[in-house]
Amino acid sequence: MSNPLQAAYYADDAQQVDAKITENRLLARETFLVRLVAPEIASRVVPGQFVMIRIHGLDDPLIGRALAVYDVHSGAAGEPEAIDLVYIRKGKLTRYLAGAAVGSVVTVWGPLGNGFAPDPCEHLIMVAGGIGQTPFVAVAKEALGHQRFGQRQTGWAKRVSLVYGARSADLLAGLDDFAAAGVDLQLCTDDGTRGRKALVPTVLEEVLQQSLQNTSAAAIRVLCCGPEIMMEKASEVAAACGVRCEVSMETPMACGIGICFSCVAKVRQSDGDWDYKRTCVEGPVFPAEKLCWE
Amino acid sequence: MASLSVSLNRLQLKNPILVASGTFGYAREMEGIVDCARLGGILPKTITAEPREGNAPWRTVEVSAGLLNSIGLDNDGVDAFIAHHLPYLSQVETAIIVSVAGRTEAEYVALSQRIGECQGVAAVELNLSCPNVSGGVDFGTDAEACRRVVAAARAACPVPILAKLTPNVTRITEVAAAAADGGADAVCLINTLLGMAVDWRQQRPLLGNVMGGLSGPAIKPVALRCVHQVRCATDVPIIGIGGIATIDDVMEFLVAGASAVQIGTANYYDPQVSTRLIDQLPGALAELRADSVEQVVGSLQLPR
Ligand SMILES: Cc1cc2nc3c(=O)[nH]c(=O)nc-3n(C[C@H](O)[C@H](O)[C@H](O)COP(=O)(O)OP(=O)(O)OC[C@H]3O[C@@H](n4cnc5c(N)ncnc54)[C@H](O)[C@@H]3O)c2cc1C
Ligand SMILES: Cc1cc2nc3c(=O)[nH]c(=O)nc-3n(C[C@H](O)[C@H](O)[C@H](O)COP(=O)(O)O)c2cc1C
Ligand code: FES
Repeated sequence: MSNPLQAAYYADDAQQVDAKITENRLLARETFLVRLVAPEIASRVVPGQFVMIRIHGLDDPLIGRALAVYDVHSGAAGEPEAIDLVYIRKGKLTRYLAGAAVGSVVTVWGPLGNGFAPDPCEHLIMVAGGIGQTPFVAVAKEALGHQRFGQRQTGWAKRVSLVYGARSADLLAGLDDFAAAGVDLQLCTDDGTRGRKALVPTVLEEVLQQSLQNTSAAAIRVLCCGPEIMMEKASEVAAACGVRCEVSMETPMACGIGICFSCVAKVRQSDGDWDYKRTCVEGPVFPAEKLCWE
Repeated sequence: MASLSVSLNRLQLKNPILVASGTFGYAREMEGIVDCARLGGILPKTITAEPREGNAPWRTVEVSAGLLNSIGLDNDGVDAFIAHHLPYLSQVETAIIVSVAGRTEAEYVALSQRIGECQGVAAVELNLSCPNVSGGVDFGTDAEACRRVVAAARAACPVPILAKLTPNVTRITEVAAAAADGGADAVCLINTLLGMAVDWRQQRPLLGNVMGGLSGPAIKPVALRCVHQVRCATDVPIIGIGGIATIDDVMEFLVAGASAVQIGTANYYDPQVSTRLIDQLPGALAELRADSVEQVVGSLQLPR
């Protein structure tokens, strides 16, 4: 059950548009950045929100796919004009998208979901595994005051770190963008080809311990995006240090706008019981302690 | 301009494009994307007497040209519906057709009566076909049980009654005739087809509920066949449902004998589809030189 009227959980900002591809390039192994002209979405989206994307007229793949907004690109007049999405070539839609020519058109609707809140802190630690780094370039740019998204405030964090793990070095995508934004990079790979040969939660623990030497736990925030098992472990690490932690869930979605009830996750209620909540409208970002990990 | 309005016994619709239950939330979700007042009608997600938390994930899985779902009638129950959703729905200037599901005949009757007596409800649709709810009699597969529940709901409910039927039966004509006999103002054809998806590498079913209902373009031929068979067998008005996403799909259902259609899965993957189809309808009618929707309903020419 999921009562949508218990809070303002509606995709009221969302617009459905046919967007032209102006760029579609390789960023890392099997990882691409696509730029879509969609001023209606670009001017509204905030970090951590996502869009649904579909190839109009195709019956297979049929259903839209959720992709996090990686960045917003401004036009000559300085107005938000296009959105960048970063995707890993995996199945039906992403294979099609990787072959889509510049100039071709896709259907997108968004911005969707709640995004990460711009709550001020001294040290913001973003934790990503696999393709989970995609929302964090925008988060870092906003938090460090380099870019405004929607009508939100900027410059709400003093320092930003990214703990980012992938199977191997050639899958780490967007490192230049993070470095350009002034993010402290803490990389790790399963095979040790780049950064530490360690798991993300282990690296997070070290980063947190170090941060706690000169920063109070209350002034640190941890944001996670990636495989659920990684987020569960990372949130345990944060909780053990008394640090606030939020996670971005990636449940299978069919609409992105709250009408299908596919995307549910078990979320703890104030009475201690749990309820299925739609991650597309009530998330995808949740306080880690609210989730009942499966 | 062609007349788009249609009447299905006691139910009048300003145009034949409706949105199907379970595929449009409670309409409020769509406010920013769709001008809901333009629709011929809205069917909010099926409600039950008690709240239901629904099935465990995964609840939907995409398959070739279709979608499998086992949502499990996740809803907050009739009280919450009346308190929270109906006030919004009833001020949208279109026919609000409330879908209800019960475990017993008495539950269907009580829900139909209670909902039918609420302000702003144009009709009640009996969801006699949800494959995700076990327990109780299967009103969608047993013709006599179907006739009885429709008759009892009709007697208790002051507004028109629609019967939504499942295609997962040997002879849909028998169930549809029974619904007509029970006094249904129209039958709605079809709900989803029972299906399954398997991940062979992990050796497990993809849906949390193992099996689920297939919808989307993949089921359109089955839905058209059902509409055609029922059109030939009885005169009860039909609302066609199943894989409708384009104006060609809409016209195919009208010609095959549906007086109106409901758009389902397409709302997920093309949220503005329903109002676009309303825009396109007059042009398609003009191609057949028809000045009303009713002129093309059931105009199918069969080979001699
Ligand atoms: C909020 C959110 C943000 C996302 N952001 C990104 C992103 O920035 N970059 C990126 O590459 N991918 C992202 N994804 C995953 C993306 O939506 C697709 O599942 C992925 O791109 C594969 O699609 P495909 O058609 O290529 O693969 P296919 O295997 O052909 O299709 C995947 C289908 O299965 C479902 N599915 C399969 N696995 C998962 C899973 N682990 N989680 C959810 N659904 C699944 C999808 O909904 C889709 O219908 C995000 C998902 C969500 C929910
Ligand atoms: C995710 C999902 C949820 C659904 N929920 C309901 C429901 O609550 N009640 C109902 O009568 N039909 C429900 N349906 C069935 C649709 O209303 C429709 O009959 C069916 O999907 C076939 O139409 P389509 O191919 O256009 O989707 C649901 C369908 C889907 C895909
Ligand atoms: S994806 Fe449809 S309700 Fe969330």
